[in-house]
Amino acid sequence: MNETLEKLSTCILEGDSEAAPGLVQQALDDGVVPKTILDEGMVVGMNEVGDRFRRGDMFVPEVLMSADAMQSGLEILRPELVSSGVKLIGKVVLGTVQGDLHDIGKNLVGMMCEGAGFEVIDLGFNQKPEAFIDAVKEHQPDLVGMSALLTTTMRAMGHTIKSLEEAGLREQVKVMVGGAPVDQAFADRIGADGYGSNAVAGSDLAKRLVGAG
Amino acid sequence: MQVKKTNFTVNATPRFSVLTEDEIEQIYFSALSVLYETGVRVYDQEGVDVAHAGGAIVEDTTEDSSLVKIPPWMVDKALSTLPRKVVVIGPDRKHRMELFKDQVYFGAGSDTPFTIDPKSGERRRATYEDVKNFARLAQALPNIDFHMSLGIVQDRAVGTYDRWQYLAMLEGTTKPINITAVDLDGLNDQLEMAYIRLGGKEEWRKGPIFSLYIEPVSPLSHSEEVIQKLLFSADNEIPFVYTPCPLAGATSPTTLAGTAVQALTESLFGIVLAQIRKPGAPMIIGGLMSNMDMQTTVYCYGSPEMALLSAAYTEITKWLGVPMYETAGCSDSKMFDAQAAMEATINIATAALVGGNMIHDVGYLEQGLTSSPELMVAANEIIDMVKRILRGIPTTDADLALPVMDSVGPGGHFLEHDHTYKRFKHEIWQPQLIDRQNFESWEMSGSKTFKDRVHERVLEILEAEHEPLMEDKMFAEIKRICELADERHKDEELDLDMFGPG
Ligand code: B1M
Repeated sequence: MNETLEKLSTCILEGDSEAAPGLVQQALDDGVVPKTILDEGMVVGMNEVGDRFRRGDMFVPEVLMSADAMQSGLEILRPELVSSGVKLIGKVVLGTVQGDLHDIGKNLVGMMCEGAGFEVIDLGFNQKPEAFIDAVKEHQPDLVGMSALLTTTMRAMGHTIKSLEEAGLREQVKVMVGGAPVDQAFADRIGADGYGSNAVAGSDLAKRLVGAG
Repeated sequence: MQVKKTNFTVNATPRFSVLTEDEIEQIYFSALSVLYETGVRVYDQEGVDVAHAGGAIVEDTTEDSSLVKIPPWMVDKALSTLPRKVVVIGPDRKHRMELFKDQVYFGAGSDTPFTIDPKSGERRRATYEDVKNFARLAQALPNIDFHMSLGIVQDRAVGTYDRWQYLAMLEGTTKPINITAVDLDGLNDQLEMAYIRLGGKEEWRKGPIFSLYIEPVSPLSHSEEVIQKLLFSADNEIPFVYTPCPLAGATSPTTLAGTAVQALTESLFGIVLAQIRKPGAPMIIGGLMSNMDMQTTVYCYGSPEMALLSAAYTEITKWLGVPMYETAGCSDSKMFDAQAAMEATINIATAALVGGNMIHDVGYLEQGLTSSPELMVAANEIIDMVKRILRGIPTTDADLALPVMDSVGPGGHFLEHDHTYKRFKHEIWQPQLIDRQNFESWEMSGSKTFKDRVHERVLEILEAEHEPLMEDKMFAEIKRICELADERHKDEELDLDMFGPG
């Protein structure tokens, strides 16, 4: 393996956001193809992070540092990937639904998705269906992710999916939902495409929904 | 009597402490700095206006919120009118909580989406019947002093579940209740329900039958819903709990001292606002603060950090002179098992020893997502055991028992002694569910585990005959409020059955 790519993957593993952009640039300067930089450098590092996390050798704050490093490298790499015709893994519009102020779970899902290479547009908490509609129109995401921690606001997930349908946007996005009182049965009932039980399951699901998992 | 000693101190109860007064002051003055220099974000115009009129600095106003900074003198002023004692009395006018320094009361937690079925042991969504059953357990268990809804009613309209829960609890218990409210309308309805239960507003003023649970949003935010509930409660003489739920490492600093500072800042803002609105407004602060588990990302309800932090915070509230909303009797386990009993024991003992006042969340499993009748019944016994420890070891002459020893002398025994006969029942704690038989007797009585015995006790309580606690007419009148609420809010419901079968 190219030495720079090796350094890049270690740098992702160690969560060094400052070094990542420089290493990506160096690899590009070395003439390494953007897709190779992604697959054989960054993703290798991030996969190791995933493995260590699952084994219990790495913890959430460390994983998030790695996800940060991944994103800072991608800022340099993304335009190069686009211009060389590589399809990016995808874009997610994410938010906690109307009436709900619980946002830390949603934030974690967002950061994990970033770690998986997604571009994440985080709308924040207490977001009306219209906010999701506007964001879909503006950002053209592959995925809409909604989080709800309350039985009362789980209804807003249903309302939002309905609004997406009414706006004629439902077909162009996949919808995933999550949050403590939500379960697969409920996700099915409101016509979501998937349910994630935790942040890692959420980003795995996102990958699957865009055909990359 | 001739006095022959001096400087003699007595521990009528054991003593337990996490922080010294200097450390408490350090945390308190740090919170004042955060309140004044960092400020809190308030998402409610009326709340911002009240704070501003009271002397707060308001800046960085956006479409939906403002940054509010509170100078230290405003806190001093608020503390001067904050009641040091808060009383909540059940509708039977017998069960009561007098909340102030070192008074210890235990009660349930509320609003779990799931529950463990008392018969089958299956984890499923909670219903009206479950909430009523938990209230009946609370009524029957002597160490449960107040109650909360151990389950979200999910077989009624979703947006008005709070009224149905309150009705279910009124059906099951006459102990003081700490309610939750979906919104201001829900609070208003439950207050009306309480007035009916009690026979009017004047009766309420003589002793409110519920307190309200309000939670500001960590870090350092106070939503519209929260501020509106706070102002309404202050206006209507509703005692309320103002308890942030910071999650160390996620929604507050990962250090426990940092989390205590932040939580205190959040509660102090509530105190200031309420006291400006209505000097003397009764409040309880607390209370749910823990760490994020950095493997699973859950909010830990069974960690030593939760118990320790709550204990430290209790000492801060004692120093401030405000009743404390503590947390104990809860666990991260998924079922009532050894882990549940172990975690609940640690947090119950810690909360009781430090002197938390309104100690809630008895019966919580799975980080507050599931309620367990078995944990509740077991906790009653754990609390009983801990209360024995609270009684300490008096060392009066009668306790030291020198004449008794003298009369028995070396050799001999105490079994037949009057001293034993008169005092053993008070001195030695007698368990009800814990088993101390020898192996043969235990085997002959069915080789039951602690879990088996707890399970039997749950069913015994639930299957016992019981008289209704309210007359039919009163029940119907209160229920009518729930039905009218359903009617008013029906447009918010989804046009599908969210939780029913199929
Ligand atoms: C898009 O795809 C995906 C995929 C996966 C997704 C996903 C999206 N979203 C989440 N996931 C998943 O991945 C995440 C990471 O692993 C996970 O996210 P979680 O969010 O589940 O996990 C977090 C990382 C850690 N967990 C948490 O942060 C939540 C912990 C608990 C204790 C909790 C907290 C902290 C809070 N609360 Co609230 N709160 C509780 C919670 C009990 C619990 N155990 O869940 C719960 C959810 N709250 C509840 C209640 C009742 C309330 N809360 C309220 C308020 C709050 C605080 C603001 C104080 C605070 C949140 C602060 C914040 N900044 O987020 C109130 C409502 C406010 C509002 N309008 O939103 C209030 C209504 C209380 C009141 N009466 O005022 C209960 C639910 C009731 C219900 N109807 O279902 C509750 C179960 C606790 C309880 N038993 O009372 C997964 O669910």
